[in-house]
Amino acid sequence: MTTVSVDDLRVSYGKRVVFDDLDLELGVGVHGLLGPNGAGKTTLMRVLATVLRPDRGDIRLLDHHIGDPAALRQARRQLGYLPQTFGFYPRFTIREFVEYFAWLKEMPPARIALAVDRAIERVGLLERADDRMKHLSGGMLRRAGIAQAIVNDPRLLLLDEPTAGLDPEQRVQFRALLRELGLDAVVLVSTHLVEDVVAACTRVNLVDGGRLVFTGLPDELIAAGGDGDSGDSPIERGYTAVLRGARTAPR
Amino acid sequence: MTGFHVDAGVLAAYAEGGLADVDAWSVEAHLDRCADCRTSIASDASTALVVEAVAVSLGSRLPTQGRVRQATGWRRIRVLVGAGPAARAAWLLSVAVTGVLTAGLAVSPTVVPPWLLLLIAPALPAVGTALSYGPRTDPLHELIAGTPQGGLRIVLWRTLAVLAVAGPVAVLAGAVTGIGTPGLWLSPCVALTVLTLALGSLVEPAYAALVVAGAWAVVVLAPPVGGVAVLVSSGSGWLGVTAVAAVVVYVRRERVGRQPA
Repeated sequence: MTTVSVDDLRVSYGKRVVFDDLDLELGVGVHGLLGPNGAGKTTLMRVLATVLRPDRGDIRLLDHHIGDPAALRQARRQLGYLPQTFGFYPRFTIREFVEYFAWLKEMPPARIALAVDRAIERVGLLERADDRMKHLSGGMLRRAGIAQAIVNDPRLLLLDEPTAGLDPEQRVQFRALLRELGLDAVVLVSTHLVEDVVAACTRVNLVDGGRLVFTGLPDELIAAGGDGDSGDSPIERGYTAVLRGARTAPR
Repeated sequence: MTGFHVDAGVLAAYAEGGLADVDAWSVEAHLDRCADCRTSIASDASTALVVEAVAVSLGSRLPTQGRVRQATGWRRIRVLVGAGPAARAAWLLSVAVTGVLTAGLAVSPTVVPPWLLLLIAPALPAVGTALSYGPRTDPLHELIAGTPQGGLRIVLWRTLAVLAVAGPVAVLAGAVTGIGTPGLWLSPCVALTVLTLALGSLVEPAYAALVVAGAWAVVVLAPPVGGVAVLVSSGSGWLGVTAVAAVVVYVRRERVGRQPA
């Protein structure tokens, strides 16, 4: 079952082409998005979040062709997005911040009050819900960001480096939340921490140089690595092996 | 594996605990040996009961009702209009300064020349609107751009918030300067704001405001043909500008407020 499909995607910033002819299919579950810095992970996230317009390409999100404005609006209602960096209005409390996004995502009003508290509870911030955003630590801000992303029970959730700034305990809790969310939604998590992938992802996609160089199960990525590859864990060895293979292969 | 399978009705009764002990033991003894029957018990084990159990456990895990306000229509308007940084400190300050200038002019025209108010007051809403959205001035731009209310809709909400504050100040300024009819000061306000939105669909909103405010300054400061009063009084002219700008905004609505950073 494919609920996100990207066909022949081309994205460029001015003359610099980030993606050319990229195809991607995602079904329900937690998908890891790995790749070196500058590989285009964030660009792909922003395209799927409908924030960045691609130069070309056919994108279907949850059976909506996003080229059509009405369908795009439908898709956006079921979308959750956590950017790598995001600002906030300092005077907002966490609860107001999440409520604001509940309204922006056009949730049915009857569901809003409960959904806001539930989202805040799921990221473990209920005790701090009435604190102003400017008084939060980096990890708490990120969790508040995750709360706004999941407030509408999105069927497509895009998380760009969600574990950055979380301490090890929070990271473990967050992975549990990811697995829970992945039961009935498409979750795409970009990360540079390969251990996140092993712990929480059902599938892995690896991008490098604007191409999708690997897609498969975490075990398959592990299997790709040999003893001679650099890395401290089996999946890191698989990661470097796949990257090396992709770079030496003729394009 | 055996050739014999327990009847589906008996299995269901067993799953719900409705069999007598002796019968239950014999079913259990069979289940030990028969994978097929085990599988069917798993899939049919009274779905209704499972659903109910899940609902109960979910209900108990819901957080206590917090202090989120009742989601009424008014609350929606308050959140969407009031939440944004439409009331940015710098901009609010300039609205306040304009108010002070207006008061100064009311005291004596020598302290504050009337043309200064004409220069500032109608440009304020255009600048305030442009500051309230766009990747450079709105810290939440990236997050809001991906929501269904993002783009033109939220920009219009914020424009409304800005005009609600800057409009009355302009009318007041009009009344004090005595240039044209005070109520008509609203027409350049609205026209310049919509013009900024239209231009803001092409370039960064902050630049759009700069261009519009600059053009306004040239018009006000240039040697007036029939006195500056013409500027405020030509209602149909401003209506025309507003209409053309509104058409541009409508045509480019998918671009308004959605520029990538």
